Amino acid sequence: MKVNEIIEWNNKKREELTDENKRIYEDMVVYIRASSNKSEQQTEEVLLELLEHLIHAQNEGKSAIEIFGANIKAYCDEIIQEIPGEKQKKKIGFGVFLALQYIAIISFVTGFIGFGLHYFFEIGSGGFTFSLISGIIIIAIYLLLLYLFIKVVMKWIQNSIFKKRKKWLEFLQLWIFCTLYFGLYYVTPKIIPTLGTTITVPILSIGLIGGALYIGTFIVNKKVHITK
Amino acid sequence: MSLRSQLLKGILEGCILAIIKQQPTYGYELSVKLQGFGLTDVSEGSIYPILLRLQKEQLISGTLIKSEAGPKRKYYHLTNEGQKALQEFIQHWNSIKPPVEKIIEKGGMIDESE
Repeated sequence: MKVNEIIEWNNKKREELTDENKRIYEDMVVYIRASSNKSEQQTEEVLLELLEHLIHAQNEGKSAIEIFGANIKAYCDEIIQEIPGEKQKKKIGFGVFLALQYIAIISFVTGFIGFGLHYFFEIGSGGFTFSLISGIIIIAIYLLLLYLFIKVVMKWIQNSIFKKRKKWLEFLQLWIFCTLYFGLYYVTPKIIPTLGTTITVPILSIGLIGGALYIGTFIVNKKVHITK
Repeated sequence: MSLRSQLLKGILEGCILAIIKQQPTYGYELSVKLQGFGLTDVSEGSIYPILLRLQKEQLISGTLIKSEAGPKRKYYHLTNEGQKALQEFIQHWNSIKPPVEKIIEKGGMIDESE
């Protein structure tokens, strides 16, 4: 069975749980799924097994605590420890896919907003000037920022599940973190010096390249199922 | 991990292999069988980390069976490696069980007449 089929079935089946069990089970699902570099297939298979077991137990009047122990976090950690890592090939494929889609979206947005601003409001030159070397460095930093952003968010989600923190504190943490991310995103192209010769192209072409790249990754994903 | 829980885990692994050897079994069924044999101290959920580890060590292999609207169950069966591991477990168990029983029975006193 494919991963998305298992997830779909899991979502449907989960409705059979009582409110209390559902709350506990969903905490476990988020916590276990947020652990990085684990085989997605194995993760979803064991999550489904735990769900099936919990439903059986529930029908016999047993609680989730009786099945998984009083320390749910420790139990989840034990499970995570035994889930095998994702295959190297799959990991790289997914990473490249994500990077390309990210670059495609940035180019698309930059291109069309730049074009719109120039065409309708006469802001900006309508051209996009960059140097190849600086451009590559900036993209590399952007990808690194994205990677760190995802890592930190995943870790943050994991930490927030079994430790119930105050809502305002959670909000503050996320706010500071997002501000930091977008701040670095904004500052990066300003502090990287222009290296080598610069090229100027119409800004719309950047948007079109982004669009084409996005469609390209979309088609490839449909064919080889990188994300499914 | 404490020695006590390590010992228990090793024994539990052996029991799981022995049950799966009889016929392909899925998680919940396995826990019912263990409980049926009287291993009621073992919390039901503790079999899943073990099943994952046995799969990682390729002693068992699991297949998710899709059925018409019914439950989708992951049935485990023993691999060749698993057969070997089970034989080893039985050997170890047989070599450790009589002396341990004797020790407990005699309260640690070595019987000179034997």
